[in-house]
Amino acid sequence: MPDLPELNPVIHGKLRLALLSLLSSVEEAEFTWLRSKTASTDGNLGAQLLKLEEAGYVAVEKKFVQRKTESGREALTQYVHALKQLLGSAINA
Amino acid sequence: MSNVEEQELKDRLSIIESMIAEGRRTTESWGWTFLLWGVAYYFAIAWSALGSPAIAWPVTMIAASVLTGVIGSRISAKQPETTTGRAMAAIWIGMGISLFILMICLGMTGRLDLRISVAIIGAMLGASNAISSIILGWKMQFACAVVWWTAMVAALFTTENIAGIIFLVAIFFCQIVFGIYGMIAESRRNKARAGAQGAFHA
Repeated sequence: MPDLPELNPVIHGKLRLALLSLLSSVEEAEFTWLRSKTASTDGNLGAQLLKLEEAGYVAVEKKFVQRKTESGREALTQYVHALKQLLGSAINA
Repeated sequence: MSNVEEQELKDRLSIIESMIAEGRRTTESWGWTFLLWGVAYYFAIAWSALGSPAIAWPVTMIAASVLTGVIGSRISAKQPETTTGRAMAAIWIGMGISLFILMICLGMTGRLDLRISVAIIGAMLGASNAISSIILGWKMQFACAVVWWTAMVAALFTTENIAGIIFLVAIFFCQIVFGIYGMIAESRRNKARAGAQGAFHA
């Protein structure tokens, strides 16, 4: 049986995953836009963005503008790849 | 892997897909610009018919551009910047500036003929609508491009009066009707999205 990949814990949180996915289709977004799209609270959104920023996956700029970094793009791609592998192995099992 | 775990993973994939689609959909609010420019064209035509053709078109076009810029910047302040949005702006700003300079120069050199004008406008609006429909994947907008191209060809093979009527009809369908259709479609989509939205927790 092949080794199953581990899912990146930073991205695995639902809100953080939603944020990174949202930011993958736009160049940059304001805090209020991210809040409205994820229906999250200011506190929770700020905390999750901070975790993504600490991991280097998003860059938070002045006026609460966020954009995804190249590292964030790679991390999301790898996460999706690992997710598909895990689901594929579950289907084949 | 248990069924619960498998469902969890499927949920994650679903979040990724829906959020990426959400980001893309945000940029598709263009209906109001078509309506605004359709009204501007009719206003300029009416003003010209009343006896001030030399100033009617430049003044109306500049006013419509300023209005588009003001409303557009207010809307875009609430939206994220996207490559698609910049591509759209590039197409229409480029087309608008080209058309404006060309028409002014044709007017100043006395070469402005209604049939040629309709053909030029039809060609440029046909190209811009076609490019933008391909980028946005909006089939209905390609129909507008076809109408403009048809108007372009028809205007060159007919009289000035009929070319004028062709222009009015093309504006009605490609600007007024398409603009209202776009606004209704956007409004329906926004309502459906608002109903489907849920909260995420870390």
